[in-house]
Amino acid sequence: MTVSQSKTQGAPAAQSATELEYEGLWRVVVLNDPVNLMSYVVLVFKKVFGFDETTARKHMLEVHEQGRSVVWSGMREKAEAYAFTLQQWHLTTVLEQDEVR
Amino acid sequence: MKRIEVKLALTVVAPLLDVIKGMAEGLRQNLAAPHGPMDLDAEFSAAWTGELLEAQNADVAALLAMFNDEFFAEGVIAFDEDNAEPIVRATAAVRLRLREHYLKPLGDETLESGNVELERLDDPLRKAFMCYLFLATIQELIIQHLDSSILES
Repeated sequence: MTVSQSKTQGAPAAQSATELEYEGLWRVVVLNDPVNLMSYVVLVFKKVFGFDETTARKHMLEVHEQGRSVVWSGMREKAEAYAFTLQQWHLTTVLEQDEVR
Repeated sequence: MKRIEVKLALTVVAPLLDVIKGMAEGLRQNLAAPHGPMDLDAEFSAAWTGELLEAQNADVAALLAMFNDEFFAEGVIAFDEDNAEPIVRATAAVRLRLREHYLKPLGDETLESGNVELERLDDPLRKAFMCYLFLATIQELIIQHLDSSILES
């Protein structure tokens, strides 16, 4: 859903280097830490993204077992907002630009 | 309003408060989980960190406020729909800080499993680990009893 939205948007006539750098898809990635409880991480995913219990647990287990989970992808501005909120909840979060543009 | 009261053993918990307050002091100027590479310009990054710190300090204040006169008189702490969310976040912050300052020698695998022989630890490390467990218990209690309040707020 988000993919098609971003790809169908027309490019402005002139864009700054920053705008060009930030366009495209961005992934919000949560990294594992040895401290936060599984139940806490599930709660945060449900709270921040509105995930149901199953989806929240799936992402939590990905973080726990694989060290990371892509919890959202889309436009940079919204990705930043999600990353900020996750950091308010003390989850280690990074943004990654999607290589496929 | 849903309210959870927990009766604690004052003699066990009161000595842990100095450790918690020490960690809280450290969190005034430092994020519990510093953000990773976000590709932000310097000004935006400073504003980002400043807002996170402000929110973190408000949460930690709510945690410390739990240990009020009622706690010192009767050993009772209370959670409700108003303080559940900041306290659950603050416990995460303080636990992360405890790992950073005291618990790293235990190793991450041990921290994740929680299998620690307390009697083999020296006093500061034992106290720090007891704080770590105590705060996890608070967090679990809140998640168990007040998660719907947090999700709906």
